[in-house]
Amino acid sequence: MSVNATDVKASGSREIPSRRVLLKDASQLPSEYSTTPGGTMFSTTPGGTRIIYDRDFLLQVRESPLARTPPKNLPKIEGVTDVADSTTNGSIEQPKQNNNGKEGAIIEAEEPQFEMDI
Amino acid sequence: MAFGAILDHFERISVPPRSTSDADQKEQKDAQKSKESEEEEENGSNKFEWPEVKAAPGEHALQFSYSLWFSRRSPGNKTSSANYEQNIKIVGSFASVEQFWMLYSHLARPCDLTSSSDYHLFKLGIKPMWEDSANKKGGKWIVRLRKGLASRLWENLILAMLGEQFMVGDEICGAVVSIRFAEDIISIWNRTSSEHFITNKIRDTLKRVLNLPPNTILEYKTHTDSIKDNSSFRNTDVFMR
Repeated sequence: MSVNATDVKASGSREIPSRRVLLKDASQLPSEYSTTPGGTMFSTTPGGTRIIYDRDFLLQVRESPLARTPPKNLPKIEGVTDVADSTTNGSIEQPKQNNNGKEGAIIEAEEPQFEMDI
Repeated sequence: MAFGAILDHFERISVPPRSTSDADQKEQKDAQKSKESEEEEENGSNKFEWPEVKAAPGEHALQFSYSLWFSRRSPGNKTSSANYEQNIKIVGSFASVEQFWMLYSHLARPCDLTSSSDYHLFKLGIKPMWEDSANKKGGKWIVRLRKGLASRLWENLILAMLGEQFMVGDEICGAVVSIRFAEDIISIWNRTSSEHFITNKIRDTLKRVLNLPPNTILEYKTHTDSIKDNSSFRNTDVFMR
């Protein structure tokens, strides 16, 4: 079937959706060929639509005015939702190292978030 | 918002990596049905209604919407499935990064909670209960922490979950932080305990996002076992790398 050029409706142009994926560790590389870094499976997810955010980006959004607004309809729960407004405290302060000898819980508080596995 | 509707559609058709066998396909069907059948089951006296949330224009939509639940066990009160369900309450629900921070920033941090308290952050539509249709074939990874670390590791865990860092399709159901007398415990729940490819991938991501030292002991427990011994953290399978 031939299509007359004037019959073709103009469709709005759209950018090809893309996003930046920052690898911080070799283990983030996909183990299957059908997967891209960032985990989108093209064989099963049309257009690669999984919405992925890294920690740094999420923490950045935290500083936006919208994210600091108190939520509506927060139920009153003693010791949970009645705490003083903590929006001014940025991120969680690093806990102090105190070795009280609990086994299986030896996590170094001062280590960087991500380390390269080389 | 049209975009939201499209994502909702993708969420339903996106599948875990190796899902070609008949058994897997059946499980996916079950998972899709889970919401409906659960509602049918609860059509009795107190029908549960899920809150409606969506990302507002200009907000950063999440791949999934979530509800944050809180529970606190009164001392000496043996939990049955029924009173557990009465004890657990939704604190808030969200569909975007901004809405998450609004809620999170106005709540007590895990370390400031009293003993026997839990936060449960689960995908909207999945109750933080072993018996939920999304959970009943699943299990959880458990990390025991010495006191003082829970707030920071919980934050790292949920940021990884919300940001889809686990890369296991829609296998993740939710995460829990449990404040106890002598230790705190964080766990992450997934749908299919029998898929070792998936549970191993979750374990490796967990180690990475929590920055756990190589000698950390991780435990896995299926919800079927939890139902059998009515316990979340006893009789687990212990793994060490």
